[in-house]
Amino acid sequence: MNSIEHIGEHIWAGKLGNAFVVLSFIAALISFLSFSLSTKRSEYLSFARISFKLHALAVVGIAVTLFFMLFNHFFEYQYVYQHSNKAMDMKYILSCFWEGQEGSFLLWTFWNVVLGLILNRLLKNSEWEAPTMAVFALVQIFLASMILGIYIGDYKIGTNPFLLLQEHESTKNFPFLNSATYLSKIDGRGLNPLLMNYWMTIHPPTLFLGFASTLVPFAFAIAAFWNRKFNEWQKLALPWAFFSVCVLGVGVLMGGAWAYEALSFGGFWAWDPVENSSLVPWLVIVAAAHTMIINKHKGGSLFTTHFLSIAGFLLVLYSTFLTRSGILGNASVHAFTDLGMTGQLVMYVLTFVFISVALLIHDELIKYSYILGSLLLWFFSLIYGHQKLALEIWCVVSLGMTFWSYIKYFPKEKDEEALYSREFWMFVGSLILLLIAMVITYFTSLPVVNKLFDLNYAQLKVQEYNDFILPFAVFLILLIASAQFLKYKKNNAAAFFKSLLISFGLALAFGLAASIPLYFNSTGYEVYNKIGYTSLLIASLFAVFANLDYMIRVLKGHIKKSGSSIAHIGFALIMIGALISTSKKVTLSKNTSKQDLTQLSKDFDNQKSILLTKGDTLAMGPYLVTYKGKERKGIDVYFKVEYLKKGKDGKPEFDFELIPKVQDNPRMGKAAEPATKHYLDKDIYTHVTYADLSEIDSTTLTKFNEAKNYVGHVKDTIFAGNAIIVIDSLRTNVNEVEYKKSDSLLEVTAILKAYDSKGHVFRAMPKYSIKNNMQIPGEYVIEELGLKFVFWKINPEEGSIEITMSERIGNTKDFIVMEAHLFPFINVLWIGCIIMALGTAIAIMERIRQIRRKHA
Amino acid sequence: MKKLYIVAIVVVGVAIAVIMMSLKNTTTYSDFTESAINSEREFHIVGKLDKTQAQVYEPTINPDEFSFFLTDNKGTTKQVMLHKSKPQDFDKSEQIVLIGKMQNDVFHANDILLKCPSKYNDAAPKAE
Repeated sequence: MNSIEHIGEHIWAGKLGNAFVVLSFIAALISFLSFSLSTKRSEYLSFARISFKLHALAVVGIAVTLFFMLFNHFFEYQYVYQHSNKAMDMKYILSCFWEGQEGSFLLWTFWNVVLGLILNRLLKNSEWEAPTMAVFALVQIFLASMILGIYIGDYKIGTNPFLLLQEHESTKNFPFLNSATYLSKIDGRGLNPLLMNYWMTIHPPTLFLGFASTLVPFAFAIAAFWNRKFNEWQKLALPWAFFSVCVLGVGVLMGGAWAYEALSFGGFWAWDPVENSSLVPWLVIVAAAHTMIINKHKGGSLFTTHFLSIAGFLLVLYSTFLTRSGILGNASVHAFTDLGMTGQLVMYVLTFVFISVALLIHDELIKYSYILGSLLLWFFSLIYGHQKLALEIWCVVSLGMTFWSYIKYFPKEKDEEALYSREFWMFVGSLILLLIAMVITYFTSLPVVNKLFDLNYAQLKVQEYNDFILPFAVFLILLIASAQFLKYKKNNAAAFFKSLLISFGLALAFGLAASIPLYFNSTGYEVYNKIGYTSLLIASLFAVFANLDYMIRVLKGHIKKSGSSIAHIGFALIMIGALISTSKKVTLSKNTSKQDLTQLSKDFDNQKSILLTKGDTLAMGPYLVTYKGKERKGIDVYFKVEYLKKGKDGKPEFDFELIPKVQDNPRMGKAAEPATKHYLDKDIYTHVTYADLSEIDSTTLTKFNEAKNYVGHVKDTIFAGNAIIVIDSLRTNVNEVEYKKSDSLLEVTAILKAYDSKGHVFRAMPKYSIKNNMQIPGEYVIEELGLKFVFWKINPEEGSIEITMSERIGNTKDFIVMEAHLFPFINVLWIGCIIMALGTAIAIMERIRQIRRKHA
Repeated sequence: MKKLYIVAIVVVGVAIAVIMMSLKNTTTYSDFTESAINSEREFHIVGKLDKTQAQVYEPTINPDEFSFFLTDNKGTTKQVMLHKSKPQDFDKSEQIVLIGKMQNDVFHANDILLKCPSKYNDAAPKAE
């Protein structure tokens, strides 16, 4: 360690922060123990509540301390140094807070505390208080340990955000720490410029609130095992599950919007592991919420409500493991780095699976054998290795135990579900959601599967994901459209179909009318996709019409009761927007080569990029585009691209301007940020894929690049950056025979024709001469094109001539390679998202009202 | 509840079928030698840029064509034709993942993933 006394360090801040960290951990521990005890003896209850509040206070204390340190630029602390700097705008201070691993765990912990306090208040003195809060406190113990940063032997637990530079592994050898006054001289590294946007301010808190909210249904399900009461908690947990659906759903789509607006993914959804691992918990929690509704109205679905509620939370933990352990490595465009927490994260996921299964088993003998067996297995695998095998065995045993408990403890209903009943189809829908979630999890986990079973499968491509999900999506949407018209229990089938007739007829008419020009009369779709896309479009329209119909005819326009219909309309709109904008995405920028790439494979397309030279105007799709030049502001380079459209008299007129940028990011490398022109019915999306970012000043503009030598015959071509040059002919003043006789002057002029991209022709006539055996090269410059030719050699035997060509600097340099796409009707997707969130919010309020009414 | 059992079995069956199907179709991480034998199939090749050989990117002729040489993890070096524009940080990449097919001793890639040197932990700054 460093023995130098550093001047100006605020040691107290770190000490305070650490005190809060330790307090939060210990208070969570005490709270867990006392809540657990109070499930049997209620005298511990008030103590348990106080310790949870103390824990909450400590968590807030950690957050405030960290904010204070960021705000006052305490760069002696590694977290502050790493994530902020003096120049940074204060509006990004929130982003700095959760840019790092420690901060994002802290954010999650914070939301858990907020939700825990609310839940505790609502459940006060009920039999559910102690067990649910015990689960909350247990999770908080684990989360608090993620920022503990202590060593047990060689094993490090958590990374602490309050470490000084000289204490942190990555910074302790910095040479400037040898100076006592280093603090007055350094500045922080700053927030990653790629994250300096408002998305970074709103996306993480929303997503983490969504993640945190999955804890509530989980806590209820575990509490039900604790109380051995399987049939009561669902109606209490229902509004919370809806809350998860709403917040997590918005969080996930916000991530998509961020990717679309500010990152160059080329779309709003790329099936990236990061996106998938937050989508999967959402799908499961949606399924859980629907089975809870079944339970509330009709009873039953006991095992599924438990299973799905637990799975939702476990999948959030699993997604944390996937995205933070570095295991995804090659599989994603996101930058995953192993932060040395892999072991800890695996242990957390496994521990919570273990707790869930152990609590599920009621028979004491079996329960304790499972616990003992698991611990022994773990212990032996630590000593003797074979960890993969042990893990595989344990997973199989745990799964078996779950299935066995399902058979043994969960009461089965005697009478068969009616085929025409709402609960039956809602249940089927939930199973489909679970199925989709399982398959996506499997595909996303391929790197994990590879590790476990020594395989080497690569990630799926976007189109493969889209294709496999298509039939399931159609089926789900059909359920969304129709299930509401079924009542619980028995229904008259004829009446049911009759009520769907109008909306289905409308959907079929509109859907077919749209699909024929969209998919059948246009090329590039395989039969599977033609049918699939058409079905999805019709089904989604059906869902919109049927739910509107239900709101008007059945609910008589009662907005308060229409939450689910509105949310379902929103979801159907999301599907329509996603379908059309993805399947009808048009690449405006086209491949300029003559080689037909589709011959190689159908995965290669000819339409990707366009090269724009400064000042040139090229036709691109329905537009004409001009690259007007670039401008550098700090690390950002902005490229001005003008879009022109054909005016009334055929002349091009200015339509709009897009300014995509490339960030020359010192920490992340070069990152392209697209620019998008939004219309009501379409988006024009542009991003620069290749460009020279260096600036050209006027002094270098007149200089020429290094000359390249070309050996050629008459009619050969030479390619320059801005023109194609043809050796048209050679002219001599005398013929060869005469020259040999006379030994006098020989002059050969090469006539070169240069064709530029606009079709103008320029002429260059370099003259090569031989006088008294002296070879004299001749130079010629085409000023308009900035091309210099030197004709310097004739090879009489081959009949060829040699010419060097050099291009003026700045001639070819300022060009961009750009991709431009048209996304039709993408706004339908965003509107759908808002409608779905609104609908869910209305549903939450209605469910809360129902609970209150019952209690009143 | 019998109908539900049927549904549950169908759901599990479909899940297994989808996964089994994917086992057949999913591309695998591989090397040039294997992809040369099986030129119809698509492979993911992990390797490093061979900096001793020429890279050709002539956007004026074709902005969607970039040629370079890659040494795969088994040490075989082959020419790669990337049918995309040259990635911006190409020369800095530590590791490259290519997705494509081998044809006539040239690997035709339609996608590329670059791993650049530790994006979050850059080298220690100099003392000022």
